[in-house]
This record gives sequence, C-alpha cells and structure tokens, in this order.
Amino acid sequence: MVRVARTMSIPVARTELGTRLVEALGADVALTQPEDLTVYAFDAYSEDRLPTAAVVPRDAREVGIAVRIARECGEPVVPRGAGTGLCGGAVPRNGGLVVSFARMNRLLELDARNKRARVQPGLINLELSKAIAAHGVFYAPDPASQKISTIGGNVGTNAGGPHCLSYGTTTNHILGIAYVDDAGEVHHTSLDDPGYDLTGVLVGSEGTLGIVTEVDVRLMTLPEAVRVGLAAFGDVESASEAVSAIIGAGIVPTALEIMDKLIVDAVEAHYHAGFPLGSGAVLLVEIAGPADDMDESEAVLARIARDHGALSWRTARNAAERDALWASRKGAAGAIGRIAPNYYIQDACVPRTKLPQVMHEIDRIAREHRLPVGNVFHAGDGNLHPLLIFDRRVPREVQAVVDAGTEILRTCIALGGTISGEHGIGYEKRESLSLVFSADDLAAMGRVRDVFDPGRTFNPDKIFPSGAVCGEVKRAHVA
Amino acid sequence: MIAVDSLALGARTPRSVDEPADAAAVAALLKTCSAAGEAAVIVGGGTLQGIGNAPARYDRAIVMRRLDRIATYDPRDLTIGIEAGMTIAAVSARLAEERQFIPFDVPRPHEATVGGTLAAGWSGPRRAAYGALRDLVIGSTAALADGSLATAGGMVVKNVTGYDMSKLYVGSLGTLGAIVRANFKTLPRAAMCRLAIAPLSPDVEERAIAALATVTVEPSAALVVRGFAGNTPTVHDEDVRLIVLFEGSAATVDRATRELRSQLGAAGIAQTRLADGAHAERAFQATIDATIEPLADRSITYRARGIPTAAWARMDSVYAHVERLDLGADAIADLRTGDVYVRVSGATHATLEARLADVDATVRRVLSRATLLAGEPSLRAQLDAWGPPPATIATMRTLKNRFDPAGTLAPGRYVGGI
Repeated sequence: MVRVARTMSIPVARTELGTRLVEALGADVALTQPEDLTVYAFDAYSEDRLPTAAVVPRDAREVGIAVRIARECGEPVVPRGAGTGLCGGAVPRNGGLVVSFARMNRLLELDARNKRARVQPGLINLELSKAIAAHGVFYAPDPASQKISTIGGNVGTNAGGPHCLSYGTTTNHILGIAYVDDAGEVHHTSLDDPGYDLTGVLVGSEGTLGIVTEVDVRLMTLPEAVRVGLAAFGDVESASEAVSAIIGAGIVPTALEIMDKLIVDAVEAHYHAGFPLGSGAVLLVEIAGPADDMDESEAVLARIARDHGALSWRTARNAAERDALWASRKGAAGAIGRIAPNYYIQDACVPRTKLPQVMHEIDRIAREHRLPVGNVFHAGDGNLHPLLIFDRRVPREVQAVVDAGTEILRTCIALGGTISGEHGIGYEKRESLSLVFSADDLAAMGRVRDVFDPGRTFNPDKIFPSGAVCGEVKRAHVA
Repeated sequence: MIAVDSLALGARTPRSVDEPADAAAVAALLKTCSAAGEAAVIVGGGTLQGIGNAPARYDRAIVMRRLDRIATYDPRDLTIGIEAGMTIAAVSARLAEERQFIPFDVPRPHEATVGGTLAAGWSGPRRAAYGALRDLVIGSTAALADGSLATAGGMVVKNVTGYDMSKLYVGSLGTLGAIVRANFKTLPRAAMCRLAIAPLSPDVEERAIAALATVTVEPSAALVVRGFAGNTPTVHDEDVRLIVLFEGSAATVDRATRELRSQLGAAGIAQTRLADGAHAERAFQATIDATIEPLADRSITYRARGIPTAAWARMDSVYAHVERLDLGADAIADLRTGDVYVRVSGATHATLEARLADVDATVRRVLSRATLLAGEPSLRAQLDAWGPPPATIATMRTLKNRFDPAGTLAPGRYVGGI
C-alpha cells in the first residue's frame, strides 16, 4: 500500500513539549524550529509528518529525560536511526517527539576473544564491522543499507541482508539490550539472565516497546576463505529453480541472491561491476568457510547452475572484484533511481521451494497492472523484493502500484509466506497484519505491548491494525 | 493411563492427568483450569523437570505426548513444523533420513520432547556453532491460559511480521502458555563428524586450552570435563579431559585433527583418542546426558552461563570450593559457549543435605547466575532453583500477570516465584 501524497503539516508555534525539552536538555540537544525538524519528518517511506520536537541525546539519561517529558505532555515518542526504513516506522504520524541517535554512535567495548561488543544504537552497521575487522571478527547482519543504517534501527526491524542465509538475522546476533521504558527508566536485558527472553521480544518490535540505548552484539570469526560466483540465466524462473536445487542439495552458501534483467542492466550501467548484460537473470552466490572446501563447493554450485540452464558461470578473481559485485548488489535500489521516475519496493517472504512459482505470479501481476517490475532478492531465504516502477504524476499508475503491491502480499501469504521478511510492518503494512494473524494471535502480541507501553507512548500507529490500537483486537477484524 | 505419582513435582502430586489429543484440546483444558481456579503443569518427557521450582499449586498435569506428529516438512525448504509432544529422537531420526539435523544437544533425547526442550530453554554446546534453539525457532503456536491459540512467526526463515512471540514462550517453563507446535530451521548434516578426546593433567591443562585456540578450524563444541566417571568418554579413565567436536567436510575435519594433535603434542599431551561418525555422536551425547545425570539420591547439579574465556577458570574455582566443603564435584566447562556445569555430591543423601545451604551459597558466589538443573527432588525443594532474580523481574511479573492473571500455568515454578 504505497501512498504518494505529501502530507507535510504546517509548522505550529513552539509547544509545551518543545519548551520543556529545551529547558531540561538545552537547545543543543532539543530541536523545536521547523527548519531543524524537517529532516525528522520522514524516512524512506512515501509519507511524512513534522514532529512537534526532536532530541539528539548524548546518553541514555538524556533519552530518559526526553521520554518522561514527552509522556507528561501526552506526546508520542518515535525513535529514529538513519531513516532508511521503507515502511514509515520512523515517521511521527501524530507529531510528537522524534529521538535521533546521531550522537550515540560509538563502539563502547570490544571483546574479540569472546566475540562480543557493546555499542550505542546510532553506530552505523558497516562502521562496526570495519572497526573490528583487524581483530578477526565481524558483525554478520548486513542489510543493503548498511553503509548508513544503524545498529539501533537494525534491532528495531530485526534487519536481514544477503548474508542472513547462513548467519541468521539481527535477532540471532543480539545478546542484550539497554532500553528506556515509558517512565524514562533504563533497563538492561541479557540472554545470560534467567527469566523471560525480553531481549528476543524487543528485537523486531519497531520501537513500540521502549527506546533502545545500548546493544550487546554477538560477533563472528571472519571466514578463512570466501568465494563469490556469478551465474547468468535466461529467466528468473530457472535461476529460482537453481536456488531450490542448491538448498535441496544440502549446501548452505553464505548468500544466494538473484537480480533480474531490469535490475542487472540498471546496476551495470551504474557500477560496471561486470554483470552479464542482457541475461534474463543473474544469480550471485557466496560461499565462505575453511579453504579446503572452496574448490569442491564451487564445482558443485557450478554444476547445479549449468544443470538448471545457466548460460555462464564465473567467480570473482579477487577481493576487489568480490567487493565490487557486492557493492553493486547492495546499491541496486539506488541504481534503479537512474532509470525510473518512482519505484516502490515490496518485501515479502515465501518458503524457498515456492520461489519459481511466486516469481511467475509476480510477473503476471505486474503485467496485468501494466507496470514494469524488477526483482532483486535474497533468493536463498525466499525473501522477495519486487520493485514496481511507476510515475507518481500518473494517477492510474499510483493506483496500480497500490493494487499490485497488495496482490503480491496476498499471493505470498497464499503460498505459505508472510508480508515482511526484513523491512518491518511500520505504518505501511499495519492493516495487512490481520491477513497473516488471527485476532487471538494479535491479542497475544497486544498483551506484550500492554506490559511495556500501556499508554502507547512509543511509536503508536505502527505494526498493529488500527482496530488494535487500544489493546485487544476486535474480533470483527479477522479476515 | 499415567499414574499421578510419576508426575510429582517436589512434594506435590497432581489430582488428575490429562492427555489431550490436539492443540484445541490443550487450549480447552487451560480455559477450564482458569475458570475453575486450578493450576496446571504442562508435561513433556519429564527429563528437565529439575529446572525450576516445584509449583506452588498443582491440580492437573497436562501431558503432551499425544501431540506427536510432524505437522509439515519439505526437506527442500530446510524448515520443519513439529507438534510439541514429539520426542527429540523421533524428530532427529526423521531429519537424518534427509541428511538434515537440528542441534538440540539435549539430554536423554528418546524421552525429551520438542515442547519440553523449548520450554526449559535448553541450549547445548553446539549453539556457538549453529545458534541456540531459540535462534532456530521460526514460528510457534501456544495455547494460552484464556483458552486461545496464539500463533507467531511462520514457516519462512526471515520474518518481521509482528512481535517475535516465540522468544517469550521458549524458556518460559510453561508459565506463559503451552507450546503446542514449533517451527524450526533445519541444517544440512556435515559430511563428517569427529570427536577428539585428550587427557588433561594439571601440568598441561593451561597450555592445552591455549593450544586449542590456535587450531584454524573452529570446533562445533569444546568441553573440559572433570569427573563424571563412567558417564563420559575418556582415554585412560583420567579425571580431566578435553573433548572437542569437529564437523565439516572430510578435508576440513582431517586438517582440524592434524592441527589439534600437533598443538596438543607440543603442549605435552602424547595421546588423543578419536571417534568418528556414529561413535562420535554417541560419545558426545553421553557427555550431554551427564549434565543432568544424578548420582543416586545424593547430588544436585547447577549450570551457569558466562563468557567463554572465563569458563575453565570458573569451573576450577567452583570445583576447589566444593572440595573445601568435603563434598564431591564433577564439572564441565564449555569453552565455546561459556557455560559451566557442576554436580555436587555427598557420600550420602544426609551428608549433602547437612551442607546444602553452604553448597548453594558457595556455588552461587563463585558462579554468578547459576541455576539448578538436576538432582534429588527433596534436596532441590529446599532451594530456589533460580537464585536472585534479574533486575528486569518487575517486567517479567507484569508479563506473567497479563498472560495468566489467574495463575493457572505452573504457578511458583519460575524465576522470582512467578
């Protein structure tokens, strides 16, 4: 459900919230002027809304003070990482306070031998891995946005990335969390503590349960050897068949990514990384592990690719070539910006064996709605990112994108999948949540929300269908 | 029909036993219990009942063993959906047919069930290599105290659709809901599996552990085992040994073995015993079984989480402290996860009972965050299995109240009296 109307509100005069925040934290931390607030009005979703105030705190204490003041003023609190979210999770839908972590961006502690680090939520994902690489360790979750997105934001959406295939998503790499509750108090969770797994439920809660102020992350040992292979196929379906065959053969590469013709051509025009132009689809495979296994694994992968109609197979000759391939894969959405007036990227997930079928369906849906579609996705995980191209100045196309997007989600659900693999529900997909879950399922989640945030201070209007805002979900809501 | 006596927890015996046939029946039973003010305990294989306190009230036992089917399994998806009452051994056998596995690493897999293993929050030595069970669960359905069935997650491996409720049920010891079904990621089995066992004497221990860290292939598990005579593999019946599990291709496992032998040799260990394939699996399983194996009626066993580099020193320290109490100790230090297990035993039940308060205080002082894992019920009943609750206990209590306001689900069994 894409919405394209710009809904920027008219700025209001300084509010009680703004005045009190400036008094408590100073004008350096608390921002109240419309020109300062504009950057906190939106994320990568298509709607925006100016917050009443924003804070850029230096530590958890200041976060706590800001939360307490906002609650006393009856204003909602929306946490913000880098604003790369695609579902409106960081958009202050009802105004209120935006908390930016731009100043809380440090690596606080590294224990490479025990493979853990303590970081502030504003630390940029890629900066973490860069800072610790010399110690032989890395932080595995690598969303395509990793050059700008933050660990805190990644925790909020349980971010994935190409390398989830063998390493798992963000939740598998978080050992503990410090968060500020709705009273402004700081709490620490740890997987080592006895008791309920509060850490696990905080990850992926999209800022609706508390404000994360510190994260203990699990690190992994850098693999001894890495190899990236590239296979060209005639069409997406045969590339998808190859992916199913690779998984079915008992091989779990570290990444298995597919880009279709539209994406490959756009990416190649931009990055010149050596993708085979004109092929119907490209499969990017990475294997990592002990050096002894590389040749044999590559031989198996190349054979499976050829058996499924690969037109070519080659491997990156060195680390530079490998990095170039990954940089262009992760920049794919950006490259599309060169050739399309507007695009809408969908996120959904299906069981891996359903890939060929769902690709066929997406193609059909896009053709029926007369929209060009590109596909760039985490094939090994069954995580799809169809990218619908449209022109927002053409009303027919806007409506077609909305309809096609919904149809794609329904198709994925019908195939046993779900409506978000890694981007989250945010504001965009909240009404679709009841396509996946029953009223009872949602009521259980609502109870967790009641416990952490009974007053709905944190990121209201996100995740849950509008009928569920005040606690228990109305039974009438069930599809 | 199961005898109520066999389901006793501490001094309490349930008045009745139910064996529901499906998830809806479990939910209906919980609804009945909530309405009647009865307390119910969800029973799996009973192998990990040593985790947690005896319930404060115990009217009904709800035995899950009839929910014993694989709900869905397409091996090519590398995912499986399993009903809670299926035994770990049965699941593993089915997965093995497809050359897949889930690293349950749980004691007594022929009795332990999927639901029980998850509810107990069990997490074994291979979690450093493959992730903990909580990390492999991709979806679940739980029967809640109000009689509803709540599903979360799904059958896909990446999912941010609503809260990750499965994380709450896993490790909650049946106090928030009864897990009726869980969906897992599965993993392809490695081509080769090898267990290396090396005797450790006090003069080589430190060098041997340092040597292990220089092996360029990461082991799936690495344990220092002290004692547990007869339960775990040895080379020459030595008291202390290093047990290392390698899994991978034949070439990688061979290189790992060569490096390990050479490094241990340089550290002064002449002989390393190797076991491959099924032999390795059996010896590794025996070591896991030992973690909850009681010594007749005269032992209790604790486990403490911690950081890997401290595990060996913590184990030695707790061992020395227990010896000073004139009691026996067997212990395991997990060098990859940081877990430390210690089984404290007396010459007789009475000897241990006489020193029980000292034992508990000592173990918890040396091993922070230690919790009880196994042992003689009458001894465990005298202690709080969980020790001091974490600082987040207030939130945990609120969660419990919100999910189970009538205190239907295993009241008193959990952390901080929950």
